[in-house]
Amino acid sequence: MTIGGSRAVSNDVNAALTSVDAAPLVGGRPAFAEIAASQLDAVYRYLVYLTGDRAAAEDLTAETFEKAFRTWRRFDPRRGSPRTWLCRIARSVAVDWFRAETRRRRREEKYARDVPLTEEFGDGLPGPLEEALRELSPAEREVVALRVLLELDGPSAARVLGISQTACSTRLSRALRRLEERMNDVRE
Amino acid sequence: MSASELTVERLLRAHAPHAPERLRERVLALEPAPQRRNMPSRRLLLVALPAALAIAVGAAVVHGIVGSGPRPVASVTVEQSLSAPAQGRTDLRKLPFQPSVGAGHIAAAPSVGTASRLQHTDASLQVRVGDVDALAAATTRATRIVTALGGYAQSVDYRTPQNGGGASYLELRVPAQNVKVAIARLGGLGTLVSQELSVTDLQRTFQTQSEQIAQLRRRVAAFQAALRDSSLPEGQKVILQIRLAESKRALAQRLNARKGTISAGTTAQISLVIGTEKAIAPVVHHRGRLGRMLHSAVGFLALEGMILLYALIVISPLAIVAAAIWAWRRRSVERLLAA
Repeated sequence: MTIGGSRAVSNDVNAALTSVDAAPLVGGRPAFAEIAASQLDAVYRYLVYLTGDRAAAEDLTAETFEKAFRTWRRFDPRRGSPRTWLCRIARSVAVDWFRAETRRRRREEKYARDVPLTEEFGDGLPGPLEEALRELSPAEREVVALRVLLELDGPSAARVLGISQTACSTRLSRALRRLEERMNDVRE
Repeated sequence: MSASELTVERLLRAHAPHAPERLRERVLALEPAPQRRNMPSRRLLLVALPAALAIAVGAAVVHGIVGSGPRPVASVTVEQSLSAPAQGRTDLRKLPFQPSVGAGHIAAAPSVGTASRLQHTDASLQVRVGDVDALAAATTRATRIVTALGGYAQSVDYRTPQNGGGASYLELRVPAQNVKVAIARLGGLGTLVSQELSVTDLQRTFQTQSEQIAQLRRRVAAFQAALRDSSLPEGQKVILQIRLAESKRALAQRLNARKGTISAGTTAQISLVIGTEKAIAPVVHHRGRLGRMLHSAVGFLALEGMILLYALIVISPLAIVAAAIWAWRRRSVERLLAA
């Protein structure tokens, strides 16, 4: 599979994406319980990458699904996949969390959060990659999460981020290049 | 795409975090909110917009139908204005009535004023004649009419431009007792296009002026009698002489004013405009009922458009502020996540 604006998505990934993103329909509309069960990991991964904090991502995932429950009647399958819809809610929830974090940091004057030694971004992810991900900005990490982990297509990822497809591709390329450079440095 | 990049992606996918079991239980324990059959906002807009448009057009059509009823007067509208008879020009009413057609038909002017009271009559007539020859004849006849009734033409302005049309503007004065006859005869000079008549009561003004004059005369007589007294000290005599002179001057002013009031009450003023068809266009309504309905409906729609435009003008600053806030928030999110 190739990632980026002009990159083609291979057939096997397409099939995987369809199986992951598709949800059972109830009267032409997917059932929420099934959506929650199938998309939970995707939303959680996205929030882990965006926030860089598993505990926060856990809370925010729960909050995202609570919000999704409340607004479920507004979901229109013709306007986007359930995953895209949930990611947009998750992003809105995460932005509020980032604002609160910024205020907290200002209040405490010094952000004294120790960098956790535990794995944040992956289960058994190599240390250098973990560190490289930590060095990325949240905006870069979230585009990696959406395009690589959640396997959203370009237009859907751009819609979640609220930017153009070109900007989305550029951001992804830059993020992957930085990860690659970091990995090469470690190898050398 | 480089091999190492592919490795990075594979590694990221292979070691993607999984939601903890406690989170799964927490999320799946949530109860979905009860479904409400709400119309989506976009669909609501698609229904509401044409509905609002239909209501606006419907209201305009109804307004057009209501406003296009049969007219109570004929095709030519003649207006008369009548001032209040007792308190000067305070009440102005317009009375539609049938116009005269042809020189032989004299319009019926309303009977206003009473002979026992001093009243000033001011009339304004517009008469249409066929051509320039008829215009000249009508102008001559108009001056003769007022002369025959004991009046005179204060000014005559006769204009015949080269385009074939023409008009004459006459300022006429006639004795008050003959004003009704004069209006009737002048209106008969051609087709009466419009007629305005106002009567201002001067009786109270006249009485007030007369009372003031009587009072001033008494005062003058009293001063003169006092001055004839030889025992009066010189200082007081001077003061009395000054007051006498003032009273005489005021008396002369009041007398002059009363003379003007009497003159205004005994002489009526008539402004007459005689014009050819090209110069004076009668107020003719060619529209049928359908035409009037359409005219009225279009006018109503224009009014609705103006209201809408006004609302947009009022709302637009708020919309600009809202857009600015939205853009600022979006930018702040970008900055927040790029940090």
